[in-house]
Amino acid sequence: MPKFSLFAGALALALAASAAVPAVAEDKVTLVVANSQWLDALRGDALWKAVKVYEQRAPNVELKSLGVPSKDYGDRMITEFGAGQGPDIAIIQDEVFYALADAGLLVDIGAAAEGVTMNVTKDNGIVDGVTYGIPWQRAAYALIYNNALVEQAGAKVPKTVDELIDDAHLVQEKTGAIGFTARHQLNDFTTYYKDFQNWAYGYGASWVNDAGKLTINTPEAVEAVTAFKKMYDAKIIPTGDDFPTQRTRFKEAGVGYSIDNSGGTLNIASGSKLKSGELGAAPLPFANPGAHQQIYVVVNANSDHQEEAIGFVKWLVSPEGQTELRKASGPDMLATDVPLLDEFVAANPWAPVFADLAAKSRPLLIPGHEVETTQIMRPVMEAVEEVLIKNADPAAALAKAQENVDRMF
Amino acid sequence: MSNHTLPERLAAVPVHAGRKPDARRRWKGLLPYAFIVPPALYLLVFMFWPLGRQIYLSLTRTRLATPNRSTFIGLGNYERLFDNPDFYTTLKITLIYSVLAVVIGVAVGMVAALALNRPFPGRTLVRGILLFGWAVPNVAAALVWLWIFNERSGILNTVVTGLGLERVSWLTSTEMALPSILLVTVWQVAPFVMLVMLAALQSVPEEVKEAALVDGADRLSVFKAVTLPHVLPTLQLVSLLVMVWSIRRFDIIYLLTGGGPIGSTSTLIVKLRQVAFENHDLGLASAYGVVGLVLAMSVAAIHALYNRRRQT
Repeated sequence: MPKFSLFAGALALALAASAAVPAVAEDKVTLVVANSQWLDALRGDALWKAVKVYEQRAPNVELKSLGVPSKDYGDRMITEFGAGQGPDIAIIQDEVFYALADAGLLVDIGAAAEGVTMNVTKDNGIVDGVTYGIPWQRAAYALIYNNALVEQAGAKVPKTVDELIDDAHLVQEKTGAIGFTARHQLNDFTTYYKDFQNWAYGYGASWVNDAGKLTINTPEAVEAVTAFKKMYDAKIIPTGDDFPTQRTRFKEAGVGYSIDNSGGTLNIASGSKLKSGELGAAPLPFANPGAHQQIYVVVNANSDHQEEAIGFVKWLVSPEGQTELRKASGPDMLATDVPLLDEFVAANPWAPVFADLAAKSRPLLIPGHEVETTQIMRPVMEAVEEVLIKNADPAAALAKAQENVDRMF
Repeated sequence: MSNHTLPERLAAVPVHAGRKPDARRRWKGLLPYAFIVPPALYLLVFMFWPLGRQIYLSLTRTRLATPNRSTFIGLGNYERLFDNPDFYTTLKITLIYSVLAVVIGVAVGMVAALALNRPFPGRTLVRGILLFGWAVPNVAAALVWLWIFNERSGILNTVVTGLGLERVSWLTSTEMALPSILLVTVWQVAPFVMLVMLAALQSVPEEVKEAALVDGADRLSVFKAVTLPHVLPTLQLVSLLVMVWSIRRFDIIYLLTGGGPIGSTSTLIVKLRQVAFENHDLGLASAYGVVGLVLAMSVAAIHALYNRRRQT
């Protein structure tokens, strides 16, 4: 009998314990966090670990990652949000952010940033006076170069496009490496136009005037296209190569100069033949600042756990959240001014240049036409292509693009 | 011997035994419907409903991010489409690409099938190798061809420069982009045509061909008078399939050129993708889709009409 009682007691305890575990699990709120960066071979794990720290601060929350390849990510987020589905939290690029905000599919998350001193990056997350996005990262563009090849060729760090062409030629002739890399094909349209914005902004072009009219064929834009054509004709780029291939050639220490953003540069500098310390960065070889890509954290209006999601964003912009994110973000600018880590700068001496440029750079999207920027830039890039391939007159090609844009809007 | 009369015996048979043949007959009558229902449901859910939805969307102003908030605009999207000169360029490119894909793909496939229809050592191996292009997934094939076409280090330009010629911009010049895409398309389509035509060729009765040869006909005459009429229905069907697939082809074109350079490879489907996912204009994109559908159905209708006329 005592044996039976003992057994029954143990069984009751075991049952009580096993019943208690699911009870706790059921109380937890699961927040699905989507980001194409989770799949990034370089930073994905570190970024995910950084956000997972939040679970220690909010034991009732479980974060679940949703990684989608970057090529499909934007389309998938827009269609999922539009269909009344999607993750609770998404980390999205500028053009997706504005499309979702415009469609009323995002939650006002201004409360998450109350009392936080954010830097200039915060402005882009505010649409019609409402904070729909908190900056996750800002990646500015810079001129990057292979120090060893530049020195070997007796070249220098160029400050103008003419100097860039001359120096790239020197690198090609003296070292046999590729002089310069740049996107130049429309099959890579969405990233090609973003890269080209550096040239346009660099020459002072603005695709919209103060009155809100779209201005495609301005003298500054014509000058930018002319300079781009000059670079293309100088035979310093590997014509026909897609950009991942060009980046790989840079990683293999086979390229002198390139224009890339901080994320792309970190990719080039990591785990390759070219050591990060051998890579240099400088301001773009233009008179004016270039562009930046910005990524935002947003909360889905379809989410059943909006309050908990805003809680996560609040933690993310707190000193602890920003410090954790900084550890994994490398050279990118964050929502608050968290300095680059000393050890990171020591290993990647080029990183501070990007941080400086990010403070002055311009957004990729056209102010007031953020949602339509991709649509507007299609005829612009077709004009650029006509100039590059058909030797069309830049002014005439951009005038045609202006007509096309005027017909659209 | 039984003392019961026949009617008595029949009346003695249990009632349920008399129903058996009826139930079986009824079940037999229902059986075809039972087989038809699953595919009919599948077509209804995955084909006709989306098709109807697409046609409806083409009559609305709908943004990609708000597919459930449409404004009915009647034929507004079609007016925009037909007023845009780029649409006619796109339509022309689609037709040129599709017709050439059929003509060249079917010709190459047919020649390969004729070559493989006669026995020679290693025929099975050759057939396997020739089928390779068809078996490779489209995306993988496009990526491999991207390397082959690479201006700087691609195998094609290595051959070209080896012959002392200038490098060719296979995918980045308006003159070469469409022929390059056609090359990849033919590489993919011809093995399928070859396989189907080979099966058709092997069904041609040998004794008829032999009789014609005995009567003094040469091989070309035998082909024209015996083989071709026999395989013609298959040839027509395979041409129809290749045409419809070419009108719908997306992955290879999108991955190799994205519709460029300067729109020189922009077919209806590539344009549809651009309008839907770059311009976020689901209504206009649907109108492009409907035009593609009408084009494909017109081809099928012409084929059906031709067949009917031939049979009567």
